[in-house]
Amino acid sequence: MATKNPTNNLPDDEVLLRVENLCQYFKSKSGKFENRAVDDVSFDVKKGEVFGLVGESGCGKTTTGRSIIRIYDITSGSIYFKGQRICAGTRAYQNEIKAQRQTIRDIKAEGAPDAEERVSACQRQIQELYAQIEAAKYDHKHSDHVYAQKLVAECDQKFAALLAQAGTSREKVDLKRQYKAERKLAKKTKLITKIQMIFQDPFSSLNPRMTVREIVSEGLVINGIKDREYIDQKVYEILELVGLVREHAGRYPHEFSGGQQQRIGIARAIIMNPDMIIADEPISALDVSIQAQVINLLNELREKLGLTILFIAHDLSVVKYFSDRIGVMYFGKMVELAPADELFEHPLHPYTRSLLSAIPRPDPDFEKVRKRVAYDPLAEHDYSVNQPSMRELTPGHFVYCNDQEALAYQKELGL
Amino acid sequence: MDNILEVKDLIISFRTGSGTLKAVRNISFTLRRGETLAIVGESGSGKSVTSRAILGILAGNAIVEGGEILYDGKDLLKIEEEEMHKIRGDKISMIFQNPLNSLNPIVKVGKQLTEAMLLKNAANRKAGKIEFNTMLADLKTHMIAASPRDAEEIDRLISDFDRFNIVAIKLEEQYNAVHTKLSELIGDIDDFLFRLSRERKHGGKERLKEMAKALAALRAPLLTDGFEADLSSNAAQLTSESASWINAKGDKSQSYSDTLVSTLGKVRALLARITTAERPNFFRIGYYVYRNPKADFVGMSVQEVNEITLGALESEFMGRFRALEEKGLRHSFDISCAKKQEVVAAIAEAKTFFKGDFTKSDAKKKCKELTALVQASIDRLVTVKDSLAYTFESSLSAAIDTYFAAVVNNPKEEKRFAEQSAKRQKLINAGKSVEWEVVPKSVYDSDALKAGVAGVLDRLEKKYTADIAASSSVDFTARGVEMIDYLKEKASQVVYKLTKRMAKEKAIKLLAEVGISEPRARFNQYPFELSGGMRQRIVIAIALSADPDILVCDEPTTALDVTIQAQIMELINKLKRERDLSVIFITHDLGVVANMADRIAVMYAGKIVEYGTADDLFYDPRHPYTWALLSSMPDLDSKDRLEAIPGTPPNMIYPPVGDAFADRNKYALKIDFEMPPPRFEISPTHWAATWLLHPDAPKVEIPKVITDRIAGMKQTGGADSGN
Repeated sequence: MATKNPTNNLPDDEVLLRVENLCQYFKSKSGKFENRAVDDVSFDVKKGEVFGLVGESGCGKTTTGRSIIRIYDITSGSIYFKGQRICAGTRAYQNEIKAQRQTIRDIKAEGAPDAEERVSACQRQIQELYAQIEAAKYDHKHSDHVYAQKLVAECDQKFAALLAQAGTSREKVDLKRQYKAERKLAKKTKLITKIQMIFQDPFSSLNPRMTVREIVSEGLVINGIKDREYIDQKVYEILELVGLVREHAGRYPHEFSGGQQQRIGIARAIIMNPDMIIADEPISALDVSIQAQVINLLNELREKLGLTILFIAHDLSVVKYFSDRIGVMYFGKMVELAPADELFEHPLHPYTRSLLSAIPRPDPDFEKVRKRVAYDPLAEHDYSVNQPSMRELTPGHFVYCNDQEALAYQKELGL
Repeated sequence: MDNILEVKDLIISFRTGSGTLKAVRNISFTLRRGETLAIVGESGSGKSVTSRAILGILAGNAIVEGGEILYDGKDLLKIEEEEMHKIRGDKISMIFQNPLNSLNPIVKVGKQLTEAMLLKNAANRKAGKIEFNTMLADLKTHMIAASPRDAEEIDRLISDFDRFNIVAIKLEEQYNAVHTKLSELIGDIDDFLFRLSRERKHGGKERLKEMAKALAALRAPLLTDGFEADLSSNAAQLTSESASWINAKGDKSQSYSDTLVSTLGKVRALLARITTAERPNFFRIGYYVYRNPKADFVGMSVQEVNEITLGALESEFMGRFRALEEKGLRHSFDISCAKKQEVVAAIAEAKTFFKGDFTKSDAKKKCKELTALVQASIDRLVTVKDSLAYTFESSLSAAIDTYFAAVVNNPKEEKRFAEQSAKRQKLINAGKSVEWEVVPKSVYDSDALKAGVAGVLDRLEKKYTADIAASSSVDFTARGVEMIDYLKEKASQVVYKLTKRMAKEKAIKLLAEVGISEPRARFNQYPFELSGGMRQRIVIAIALSADPDILVCDEPTTALDVTIQAQIMELINKLKRERDLSVIFITHDLGVVANMADRIAVMYAGKIVEYGTADDLFYDPRHPYTWALLSSMPDLDSKDRLEAIPGTPPNMIYPPVGDAFADRNKYALKIDFEMPPPRFEISPTHWAATWLLHPDAPKVEIPKVITDRIAGMKQTGGADSGN
């Protein structure tokens, strides 16, 4: 997991999710243009933290979330979950190959004395890149399988040790039976199910023709659990965990209020015992009085189950309240990444400032004099000479800027 | 500031399968001119229903059980659909919550914007003609009645007036036609330049040829001869340059297109100069040309022509006409005043009649009598129409109809109640357990309905008494000038023709006004191609295209994110200032309204629970529901667990007996479950309906979160200019 991105700087064992140079391009209708929905975004999510992703609509925050759970095939970059690469795109490698081929052509045209040597070096690099593409394709396709194999291997090891210790033959038979069952389950495990998603509109994300029991247990059933009693028990347990009662299991989604529907959506996500939840604007569609209920619930669950949450939202006060670290996105790029308090105290990127200045406050006197800062990227930045990149200005606080801007920001921070 | 809209004791229910749902229970508020009223509440609190009632677009199963919505002297709940149709969209406009739902998905943005403008223009032209003719005929009758000896002269004057206006209209029409072409050409040039900037040469060739041809054919409008030479030289230049641009290939094409762009810019500036040149006064010129059909204004400036013709008009025609006109106006006014006195007397008598018991046929007869009197009392020569008197008949008969429909004649409701009770009784008699209840009969307050009838009479009485009192101080000379201005305006209205291409330019200006970038490109796009914020701006632009008095915004920012939300709010605020709009802003988020609201009404379960200015509500909230709304959302400083409001709003088919919020309220007193709280006034601008404000109530502390927040606000508030 060696990486060159400054934002992927956390120690490997603390990281649950690592997004590296994620690019997600969509082709336009005519096929001529590419819409760069997410462009070279990198960040780490620590185990047990809430990572907030904010930005205006259309900035690619939802696409990022969806790419992580493989709703889309990503264009370029890699996503690691629990140290295992789950998504990989090949565009960057292909571009690199193209560039190398061009260099070969240039060298040949030049006709310098050491041409042959340089050409062969380039060709070696091309071979390497092809190998990397193959590896990426393999990981993208077989990550679940690899993960399952890893689990199976762990299971094998564990039971080998136990079997070696086991004394009586009876014990051995029992152990073997247990071993068989566990191995079967391990073999079927999919890594991707350890990431679950909660959607924005609770009603449209629930199938109106399924009862709550069916909706919540669907994931278990798909994963091959057939024991009805176990499923029911699990469903009741989860429903109670999210603040519903077991009687609700037999009802249909339309019989619930918006807040309760969102609770069902949360129940469906956590029944898979995930390590991570991607919450895509989970409260935007709810009434104000219900929003607080859902936020409190997510907070409780996070403490109880040790969940890691990627929280996508546009309501900054909620994001600040709920998140440990926040990434600000603008038109497919991550422009600032910092711990929540730090971001609100020292916003550096002009877009972040503009975003913060737009937060409405329940304070008429303040509102009367509030000046919203408009953000115009063309007017703010001059990137004609010096290209911008993510830079760490204070520990943990990253800003997308070029050299001059970095200096200006540092001056502002008093460094 | 005067009130532009008043809602009084509004009650609205919905007939549903399981009973009558009481959506709005007796709410009253006023909207002042140029102010913003925010209505805040959860979904189902009745805030949208109220706004829809104002526009007369309630769902089919809605019943308006009582109340009044007064706008411009009319009760919007009682006037007929025909009348409402003129107000809706034109005077009162609405921005809906979901911009995609309120735009037609298969019609381009531009067409949706121009549709209303074109329709309104066609209707205006037709109406202008009719109004001009009727007004002139009325004037003639009254003038002859006032001075019968001069009948012949009046006849001649009026027919002259009519004829020279026709001449004026024809001249103006010619002038307008040229101007239409000019502005269309300007639009075409803008379009072409825009396309050229997008590097689409293919489609542009034909357009350019057409433009060059149109420019060559263009003659300067009346009295602007000075531009003639410029126009023809420019046309020649454009023709030659466009030919070389069209035929250009390869490297040269860039330099050709550069020169073409600069020439087009020059032409555009010239055309713009012509369109903004001073407009001749066609009323005067019309008279002059009518008298001297061979008149020639060659070589004269607009001012000179205006002056010459004014002299002729004043000396030959106007002096005599005005004198006679004044007499006519006075005559008409005196008659109307006398009749008004009769009406006032009749109303006093009618009021006692409507207080007692009355049958439907009697009431209808009375209504007819009164209407005949009122119709006769209207002074038809007043240019500003007295809408109250004009709509008197429909208002009164609607009020009477509602009274009888609700009180006397509601067999459907009786039948349903009887059937349901019988069914229930039968089941009980058969020894079965019955879980359901009979939905109670909808009860109507007959007194309130009678008051509705009396209200119509009252309003007219008040108006007429005031009119009679002011009758001695009317300035008839001013009224005479007003009348002539009115006729002039109507005549211009007839010839002002808005073509599709002009409407396009207007729409593009409007799009730019609401902050849409590249409006020319947006004009030809479909709604689904645009982002949420852009769509909402287009909805706002459509709402503004008719230039309304009142803008109702139903959660316009709920579907949008923070930056766009802030932009939309700023936009609404800006338009409010510029156009002197009154805004009703409906939202569920108390946080967003601090910025724009002058007054705030917090609604819960169909009632207003707290009402006050923005400062009152945010710095001194009194109702527990307002506290809960304020404390349930995190702000930038909150760290502790959020104070969520437990539970959900009550089922309004069975509204709670006491305070509707009692079940979810941790400060609820015993009386809250038994009796609805009355209003307690805190200051002249601020009241709340909670028993906690009763002198005998135990003292309750405002939640600490809120006190902390208010203290914080006072520190940072006005002094901090925001960052």
